[in-house]
Amino acid sequence: MKQRKPLSMTAVLVVVITGVVLGMVLCTVALFLNAYRRSILRSAQTSSRQAVDQVSNTVANYVSDMDGVMALVKSTLQTAPQDSQEREEFFDNLLKIRADVAAVTTYDAAGNLLSCWALDHQPREEIYENLSFDAAALSLYAEGYISQPHVESIFEGWYPWVVTMPAALDAGGPEAWVALDLKFGSISSYINNVGIGQHGYCFLMDQSGILYHPQQQLIYSRLKEEDTAALAVRSDGVYSESNVIYAIKTVEGSPWRVVGVSYVDELVTSNVGEVTRILVLSALAVLLAALLSSIVISRALSRPLKGLSGAMRQFEKSADRFTYAPVGGAREVQALSESFGHMVVKIQQLMDTVRREEINLRKTELKALQAQINPHFLYNTLDSISWMCEQGRNAEAVQMVNALAQLFRISISKGHELIPIRSELRHAESYLKIQQHRYKNQFSYRFDVDERCLDFLCNKITLQPIIENAIYHGINGLVDEGEIVITLRAEGTDVVFTVADNGVGMDQAQIEAILRKERSDHTGIGIKNVNDRLKIYFGEGYGITIRSEPDEGAVVTIRMPQVREEGDYENR
Amino acid sequence: MKIAKTLGAALLCLGLLTGCTGQGVQATPRNITLVAKSTETEFWKSVFAGARAAASEYNVNLNIVGPETEEDYETQNALIEDAVAQGAEALVFSAISYTENAPAIDAAAEAGVKIAVIDSDVDSQAVGVRIGTDNVEAGRMTAQAALAAREDRLVLGLINYDLGSRNGQEREQGLREELARSDRVGEIYTLNVLAEVGDAREKTMELLRAHPEINVVVGFNEPTAVGAAQAVDRLGLGGTVDVVGFDSNVETVDLMQTGVVSALIVQNPYAMGYLGVEAACDLLGGETFDPEALLDTATQIVTRENMFSLEGQKALFPFDTP
Repeated sequence: MKQRKPLSMTAVLVVVITGVVLGMVLCTVALFLNAYRRSILRSAQTSSRQAVDQVSNTVANYVSDMDGVMALVKSTLQTAPQDSQEREEFFDNLLKIRADVAAVTTYDAAGNLLSCWALDHQPREEIYENLSFDAAALSLYAEGYISQPHVESIFEGWYPWVVTMPAALDAGGPEAWVALDLKFGSISSYINNVGIGQHGYCFLMDQSGILYHPQQQLIYSRLKEEDTAALAVRSDGVYSESNVIYAIKTVEGSPWRVVGVSYVDELVTSNVGEVTRILVLSALAVLLAALLSSIVISRALSRPLKGLSGAMRQFEKSADRFTYAPVGGAREVQALSESFGHMVVKIQQLMDTVRREEINLRKTELKALQAQINPHFLYNTLDSISWMCEQGRNAEAVQMVNALAQLFRISISKGHELIPIRSELRHAESYLKIQQHRYKNQFSYRFDVDERCLDFLCNKITLQPIIENAIYHGINGLVDEGEIVITLRAEGTDVVFTVADNGVGMDQAQIEAILRKERSDHTGIGIKNVNDRLKIYFGEGYGITIRSEPDEGAVVTIRMPQVREEGDYENR
Repeated sequence: MKIAKTLGAALLCLGLLTGCTGQGVQATPRNITLVAKSTETEFWKSVFAGARAAASEYNVNLNIVGPETEEDYETQNALIEDAVAQGAEALVFSAISYTENAPAIDAAAEAGVKIAVIDSDVDSQAVGVRIGTDNVEAGRMTAQAALAAREDRLVLGLINYDLGSRNGQEREQGLREELARSDRVGEIYTLNVLAEVGDAREKTMELLRAHPEINVVVGFNEPTAVGAAQAVDRLGLGGTVDVVGFDSNVETVDLMQTGVVSALIVQNPYAMGYLGVEAACDLLGGETFDPEALLDTATQIVTRENMFSLEGQKALFPFDTP
């Protein structure tokens, strides 16, 4: 699996803040919309009920109006004699004033048509079927009966849709029944104008079906249906179905009921849609604000932290030259910054101390080493000179003393640790001369020097201990004349000395012992000291290596860098 | 970057939420023209009433036009051109001539107008929907009504209108097919008259005088039915000659009660008008119909016996909203 890069603080903050705000906003919007939807639904139900109540009142008024007309008709029929002028005038006026009344008919007890009044229309001579009065249904014609809608069928060429209000007459004559045929006129225009929402409407029904519907012809043409059977069994009230609200109200004083139909979708959705738009827009605004503020906050927090971490990285890279500029920001960040500032100062102080102590320690060590060399050598040389004087070889003794004097002059070198390689070679040669005298020319020596290297610097008294070792341990035990070859070469950025002898050589154990152990005998000081000094001074990559086999001589290699100024390595 | 994308997606979602509210009825009204075969008969008035009802429901600017006579396809073609020129988006059309109206309809469709055919078909590939009576079936019903009206051998006088009119020819085809299955059918005398009461009446009277053996007269649309019924009535043949007519008219309804008219094949013109406009709106809304399949508006046989049943009343008498 791929290791995921940890997120930056800005990203985390922005995501978390925006996410939380988004969640909250969505929750709020959802809850609010839900509540709003419910309240809209409730108010839709209320307005539906109110509309139906109004229609019901109007229809009730109409019915009681018609009851009044009926009472008037009855009293006229009972008081004015048949075919009298008074009757004709009354009905003529009634039909003119009440445009709703299509026709008034009277019947005898058997249901035979006696007389008929209608404006501009005469009944047929032979009535095929009279839908206004059914002699077989007389028992139904109680007070307040209103028929289903039907066509006025007793006239020629005139077939309006009407409902019939029949009533019994209790006059003595043959007229037993009267029927008012009512067109829908005023009720229909009222009902047509009632709207509930955009497409809601009211209609009038009774137990057997629809009486008046604003889209009656659609229903008659079977393009629309109302589930009147299901509505008929319901009591008055408001019913919400999946998408439709039905409000039902019985018309007082009649078998009629007003049904209001409205559509939840258009009532609720249009309102909720508008509110949703507003809500979502404001939610977007809030979200945008949250986004911006989270970016601002995270910037304010992370910028000083970024500065701090950048400063730390720089400090890590170069602790010496780092100067700390405090970063601003929140109080916590400032505290952090101050602490870091203190820490930087502390660490720099500590580093300084450590460095100085190290330099001191090295110098002390070097001095101790040089102090170790000098007495040995002096002892050995003076031993040789005294030996020459005892033999009476004064001229040689003088030469020896001169060489010794030069040796010491170079050794002292005004207290410098590093001296030019040229001086070191002179020093080595002085030493070899002294030793040649001492060993009665038992060995010869030779220099093979790359002239370009002569001006580089090297540690003083580097070669002498190696040569000393070659003489004592290589040449001394040899029967034939020995030879010591000293070379100097440049190798890349280093200078390499070799001191080769053709003496008895050493085995591996002896080599290691020379390099590792302080020798306790008077001659053994040197190689380890030189090696230590080189390593302390120039580092682990430099120093002495010895290659030797028993009876094969030895080659000692000294490696050091090319140094031109004494200061170059002073501070390492 | 990732956060930015996530946020972008979230904002987009919210944006969509706002976008998908608010729809419903077309906001700007559609311009639809109804080109009828005639503007006079009760049949067409009922069609117009249905069309107006649909127009107010679907927010349509409805323009209703038609020629004076039911033979004048040239005026119809001119009316189609005018309607297209005046920016009608859809036509609700009833063709006088199956063939002669076709080029005008094709040209209108070429101009991007949607075509809904009602009542009588036109020979065009551009028609998007066909609504009306299954005329072959209506012809069969006529035959059944004629056979039911009498028990003896039938001699028919067939009063049909223009030969070029598709629906009249289909009705005649259905009638003949159905009559051919009966062994009670004798001679069939066919007339093609103007779709106009006077002409139908005179020609029918001539026919009846010339062929007194005719005992059933069939009128294939409203004016021919009225004309045929009047002819039978005037000749005093009520009760001896049965009239089987089409559609509801006050006169045929009156004469049905006196026994002149035996049966009426009543179509549903209100539904044709209503559904025609509704389908035109659907076509404009991108809906598609199978133009070969007819959206059949119900057709009924109304006889003397059932004319005042509730169903008979609903079929015969339009409910005029006062």
